Formats: sequence, C-alpha cells, structure tokens
Amino acid sequence: MAVRTILGNEARLLRADPALLAGLALFGAVFAYALLNGAAWVARQNTTLEDVRAAEVERSAALEAELAEIAAGAEPASRFRDPRSPTVLGGNRGARTAVLPPGPLAALSVGQSDLRPYYYDVSIYTNEQTFLQNGEVENPLNLMVGRFDLAFVLTYLLPLLVIALGYSVLSAEREQGTLALTLSQPVTVRAVVGARLLFRASIVIGLGVGASLVGAAVSGGFGTPGRVALWCGAVVLYTLFWFGLSAWVNTLGRSSSWNATALVGAWLALVVVVPAMVNIAAGLLHPLPSRVEMISTAREASNEAVNSRSELLARYLEDHPEMAGAVVADVAGTAALSWAATVEVDRRVAEVAARYDEQLAQQHSIVRRYRILSPALLAQELLNDAAGSGDVRFADFDGQVRAFAEAWRAYFVPSILSGGVMTSEAVAGRPVFTYRPEPFTGVVGRATGPLLLLLLSAMLVTVPAIVGLGAVRGAA
Amino acid sequence: MTTIVRIARKELTDLVRDGRFRVGAAVIGSLLVVSLGAGWMQVRDARAHLDAAQATARDHWESQGEKNPHSAAHYGIYAFKPRLALSFVDHGVDPYTGTSVWLEAHRQNDFLMRPAQDASSAQRFGTLTAAGVLQHLVPLLIILIAFGAMAGEREQGTLRQLLATGVGRRELLAGKALGISAALALLVVPAAILGATALLVGSGATGSLAARGAVLVVVYLAYFGAFIGLTLAVSAWAPSSRAALVTLLGIWVVNGLVAPRVAVDLSSALHPAPTAFEFSRTIDEQMATGVRDILPPDREAITQALLTEHGVDQVEDLPVNLSGITLQASEEFGDRIFDLNYGQLWDTFERQSRVHETLAVAAPLLAVRALSMGLAGTDVEQHRHFAAAAETYRRDLMRQMNGDLAQNSRTGEQYLAGDELWASVPPLEYDAPELAWVLGNRALSIAMLLLWFLGAMVAAVLSVRRTRVA
Repeated sequence: MAVRTILGNEARLLRADPALLAGLALFGAVFAYALLNGAAWVARQNTTLEDVRAAEVERSAALEAELAEIAAGAEPASRFRDPRSPTVLGGNRGARTAVLPPGPLAALSVGQSDLRPYYYDVSIYTNEQTFLQNGEVENPLNLMVGRFDLAFVLTYLLPLLVIALGYSVLSAEREQGTLALTLSQPVTVRAVVGARLLFRASIVIGLGVGASLVGAAVSGGFGTPGRVALWCGAVVLYTLFWFGLSAWVNTLGRSSSWNATALVGAWLALVVVVPAMVNIAAGLLHPLPSRVEMISTAREASNEAVNSRSELLARYLEDHPEMAGAVVADVAGTAALSWAATVEVDRRVAEVAARYDEQLAQQHSIVRRYRILSPALLAQELLNDAAGSGDVRFADFDGQVRAFAEAWRAYFVPSILSGGVMTSEAVAGRPVFTYRPEPFTGVVGRATGPLLLLLLSAMLVTVPAIVGLGAVRGAA
Repeated sequence: MTTIVRIARKELTDLVRDGRFRVGAAVIGSLLVVSLGAGWMQVRDARAHLDAAQATARDHWESQGEKNPHSAAHYGIYAFKPRLALSFVDHGVDPYTGTSVWLEAHRQNDFLMRPAQDASSAQRFGTLTAAGVLQHLVPLLIILIAFGAMAGEREQGTLRQLLATGVGRRELLAGKALGISAALALLVVPAAILGATALLVGSGATGSLAARGAVLVVVYLAYFGAFIGLTLAVSAWAPSSRAALVTLLGIWVVNGLVAPRVAVDLSSALHPAPTAFEFSRTIDEQMATGVRDILPPDREAITQALLTEHGVDQVEDLPVNLSGITLQASEEFGDRIFDLNYGQLWDTFERQSRVHETLAVAAPLLAVRALSMGLAGTDVEQHRHFAAAAETYRRDLMRQMNGDLAQNSRTGEQYLAGDELWASVPPLEYDAPELAWVLGNRALSIAMLLLWFLGAMVAAVLSVRRTRVA
C-alpha cells in the first residue's frame, strides 16, 4: 500500500519535472542516434561482403572460362597466370574468400570490428603474415576516438543519467525538510528510498533495454535470443550498480552537492581513469612482444630458403614420405622446389607466431584480471562479446581461416609436387569456407565470470546502502 | 590593480585551503606524473626497438647475396615509422596506424602492424597520457574549483558587500581569474618542468623539439584559460551555483565525450573513405588498364624508340638492358596510379580531420587535441608525411635497381649484382616536419582555440557585467 503511494507520487513528480522529462527525451534521442550509427556501420560491412563474394564468383567464372578455352585449344593469356598450374589456381588467382559476417547484434556495438579484418583471401600462400593485414580502411583518428554506438552510450553516458536521477534521492528530502514529514507516515526510509530508486531504475533500465531490443529487432538479432538476453543482463546489472552506488552515497548523510561531486568523481574514476590506468599498466608491466621479429624471421628464412631449395625439398619429402613418389624430377620440379622453400619460410614464421601468440594470450589474460577494478571494463567486454564484436570472435574466425588454409593446401600440394595440371573440375572442387558460429555455450562460459563480477560489484554497493538506509533517522 | 591582486590572493588562499582543490590537484598531479613517466619509458623503449628493427632490415638488404637487381627490388626493404621524442606527451593516433611498411617492386604497400590490433578491446577506453589528463581532467578541476566563484558569492550574500566596497565588476572578475590561474599554476608549472626535463633527458632536445614543446605549453595554457573564462561566465550567468555546476558538467561531457564521437560519424558521413575492398580493386583495375591519361607503358613503342636511337635492329644489340628500361617505365606508371589513389585517400582523411577541427566550434577539446597531436608528431598528417617519405625512398630504390639492370647488363643476359650495389643504396633518412609545417596544417585549430579563448573572456566580462547582485 505504502509503496504504491510512493510510486504514484514518483510518477507525479516525474511528470511535473520538465528538466527530468527533457533529460529522458534527450537520452531517447541519443539512443536512436547510436542505433542508427551502428546500423549504418553494419550496412557498410554487409555491402563490402557482398562485393567480396561477387568478386570471388567473378574470379571463379573467369578461371573456368579460361580453362575451357585452353581445353578447346587456346593458349593461356599469360605464362605466369596459367590457370592449369596448381600454384596459380591455388595461389592468389584462384583464392577463395573466407568471410566473417557481422555479429548477431553488431548494430548495437561496433567493438573491434572496425579494427580487425573480417575477410581474407585464402590461397596456398596464406601464412601467419596474412593475419597481420589491416582491417577496413579507416581514418586512424576515427579509430582512436571510436564510434557513437549503443555500447558507448550504455557504458559512458547511462551512468550519468543514473547519477542525475539518484544523487539526491534522500539528501534532497532532508534538505527540503520533507524527510521528517515523510517518515511521520507509516513507512520506513528503506521503503521510501528503495521504492523511489526502483521506480527510477525501471525507467532507465526500460530505456536501455528497450533501445537494445529495438536495435536487436531491427538488425535481426532475435535469431540468437541467448545473446540478446546476455546483453540485456549486462545492461541491467551495470545500471543497478550505478543506482546502488547512488543509494549508498545518499546514506552517508552528506549534502546533495557533496553526493553529486562524489558520484561524478566515481564515474570519472571507474569509467575514464581506471580503464586508462589499466591500459598503461598493461603496457608497462606486461608489454606486448614486438611483431618485428616475425618479419625479420620471415626475411632471414626466405634469404636462406632461396639458396637451399633442393635441400629443403629433400627434407620436406623426409617429413612427408607419402609425397615422395609424386615428385617429378623434370622442369616442373622447380614448382616443387619453390614450394619447399615456401613451406620452410611458413614453418619458421609460424614458430615465431606461435611464440608471439602465447605471449599475447598471457598478456591478455593478465589484463583481463584488471577488469575487476572497473564495472565499465566488465560491461564493455560483456556487451562486445554478446554482440559478437569482441576479441574472441575475431580470434575464433582467424583460427577457422587457419584450418581452412590447411585444407586448401592439402587440395593443391599433391598437384604442385607432381607437376599436375588443373582442370575446370579442379576449379569447382576447390574447398569452400563456411563460417561456423561459435556455440552459444562458449559465449556463456566466457560471460559467466564477468557477469558474476558485475553482480558482485552491484551487491557490494547495494548491501551497504540497504544497511545504511535502515540507520537513517528523520531528524536532520 | 592592487584590488585585483588582493582578490586574487584571497581566491588563491581559499582554493588552497579547499579540500576539493587539494584532492583534485593531488589526484591529477599524480596522474600527470605517472602518465609522463610511463609515456617517457614507453617511447624510449619503442625508439630502441625501432632503431634495432631498422638496422636489422638494412642488414637483411645488404646481405641478400648475389641476385638480379629486379629480384632484389622484389625482396625490397622494410621501413619502420620513427617516433618523435615529444610523443611521450601524446600518443595520438600512433596505436592505430601501422608501424612498418614493406617497400617492394611494383607496389605501394599499406603500413601494417597497428599496435591496437594486438591489444585487447580494453584499449578502446584509451591509454592514460599526459595529453588525456590535460585535455579532460584539468578542465574538470577548473569547473570544480570555479563553478561557485560568482554564483557562490551571490548565494552567500558577499557579492553585494564586495561591490559595495567599490570593487569594480571587471576587477572582481580579473581577480577571480588570476586567483584560479595561480592555483592551477601550482599544478601545471611543476608538470611542465617535469615534461621539459623528460624531453631533455630523452633526446638531448633539438631546437625544433624545444620549439614544438614550447608551443604545446602555450596551447594548453590557452585551453585552460578558455575553460577558466567559460566557468566564470557560467558562474556569473547561472541563477544558482548548482545550476552553474550542472551546466558546466554538461558542457564538459559534450566537450570530452559526445562531440569527439559525433565528429567521427559526421566526418565519415560527409567524406566517406572507400572500403578496403573498393580501394584495392580500383588500384588493381587501374594497374591493368590505366585510367584517364595515365596509361600503361607501351613496350613496343619503347623498344622501337630504343632501337632507332641506337641504330640497331635487334634488342640483343642494344647497349642497355631493355628489361631495366621497361620495368622502370612500368614503375613510373604504377607510381602515378598510387599517387592518384593514395592521394585521394589521404585527402579524404584530411577532409575528415577538418570536420573534427571544425566541430571545435562546439567543443574546444577538438582543437586542442588536433594541435597537441600535431605538435607531438602523432597526428594523421605526420603519418602521411612519413608514408610519403617512405614511398619516395621506395621509388628511388626501384630507379636505382632498374637503372643498374639497364646500364650494366644486356637484354636477355643472365645478370647478377652483388653486395656492392646493395651497399650503395643510401639508407632511409627521415626528418620530421618543422614546426611551421605543423602549425600551417593546424591553422583552423589555432583559430578555433583563439576564438574560444577570446570568446570565453568576452563572455565572462559580459556575464559579470549583467550578473544579479542578490
């Protein structure tokens, strides 16, 4: 009964406060703008992927046509681009494109998708250096600043709305002298403040979750309801953390302006300063190994490999005795020789890359430990991961491309070694890349930790708030 | 005059005793020290790495063994982007630009290995740098210590008293501004000295670096000045100190968080860059067929002209190697294609940068950021400057290789060059652009910052003139 009265009064207060209504309307507009932005980015990616796929179809058609002409007696257009050669058909000319479609909720979070490559042309020459390529063409300045997407609004700006709604939830009552009056009614401080904050929290959460659901609906994200639920869960917990913090600060019995200063300070510390400190600490304490070594190794290996190709081929055949019978010793064998050199260079680069990746994974896992210092870091990771624009999805894609490149080589290498001649059937028979979305259980497994930590952070501020509210007395 | 000094002294005393200022200045001061120290160490290490990498790359080039000069051109050489000593203050776009480029025959390559690509997504929150602290946190400190400078006096009823003693409104304003500046100086001056020392220790600063550093200090002082003026103006204009604080915090959020990202979206909407796919496809197509008046070299015509010039009938009788000549012709054709496409791309980026700078009209941070990155040598324009130097070097290298092939061998001959030729290629020497170049690039930002500085002063004067006394 009492709670319903409080909620009713809250709704009346809200309707009567033009500043508050304007603030909410402003946030509504900001959400819409962020969603449009995210959708535009996804549309751009999709257009690119259509172009990429069309180009691949075009390439295949040209190869088949040329092979058909050659079969009918024509000469190849160029000796170096003769599609009958397995190193040409398996090389750049016949390459297939491995494509990572935008994540299920990509319109909600641009995440790392403006930075990491989302398609690769895969050929027999695909090696670890392939993965060093840049992603989309983008102004470095724009990459540095980042986009105005929903994830940005939720992580950075939403807490400010929460603070504006919650900083004086109790202190203003005391300052206006209405606290004693309110408490003369048969209600507790806990019930009053709790009901008021829950009312406001439901508005903010409704706004945040509502915008997310609209975005998900428009971009077809409901195909993966689990991810939508995970996203919304992160939004709810993150919002509750900030409301809990506001409630707790209110129980300290300070003035409204002190509360506001403290809360804005907390926002600044948790959303801006701590993540920046984490990044600098990560860079200093756990520096990334240098990629330069990979280049140097590749250069040295190719310098040496060119001079010792026959030796390398012999060694390669020792490792792959099943190929030995296939190698022909005539002129076509030069393809086998240079393939042996390629394999050797790839092998040495892969060694360096494996070492590098190990160090990188270690560095990332250490940095991930620091997330506990800031709910904003936790929220960002959860949102990116749920949206499918986080680091893991791109790393998983790279892994799938590596495996596909293996299959690709397995298809062409026997012909390279035996000097085989490729036909239009061989064009059609080339392996095809199919992206396998990561099973949702994997996402959940990764998200459980940060979700629990976010819940813990929310409870760490809410529990003392509830205890503190029990101790508040009406007298100023 | 003495009135102003007296007011300033009183304001300074108040501030220094104020817990908010003490806590804020202590926090920001330590963040400045940490960020300067960490940035300095990072840049020192990065420079050592780059020097070593460049030396290794040179070594690979020189010890590649006997080869045809064109094979050597295909092998090519790697160039690594140097870092200006001043970049420890502001990393700028460096994490988002590639750090190395492969200079090889036939093709202008992109810079690869962006540090941000290897970092986790937490990187996107930005790294703590001195520039970040100065651009975001110091203005917040100014707001927190000065939002009540006028409105607070009015609320306490001391404004009426003050003005009744014959203090002019402008004197009051000047005194307040001076006092706040003095308090801020307690934080900023040691930081500037620390930064200058770090610069000296790091590089034995050249005159050019010192000039950049000095201008950097002036830029930040102007930025702080603009914020002090703005804060006083709002404080005098607002009906209450609370309203002043809320307004100023709103301005701070728009300035530091909203406007920069809106600029990103606006710049890419107004001046869209091609997608990576479109960009490389265009180059491939144009390399195959030419574009407009840029046409692939006509090998037949070149051969005929050479035969006529030397009065022989067969290419084997030419005193030069035809391959060297045609390879160079195709390099020069390719160069024009690259100039066209990369030129358009970089120009698009520059137009996008202009959008960011123009939006500084709503957010001074955008002007200061552009100037700060420019002076630290970490903006997109200076990345382009190095990319252009590396590309020029590539073209010289190709010309030398093709020239050697043409002059020292005959057509169809098996020709191998050796260490002597590789060693005769001069190493890549890069000089960062001079201060005037940077400032010329950033004229719009300078104008914007000046506009904000003067505008804030005028607004403060007008606002104080009209402010209610009670």
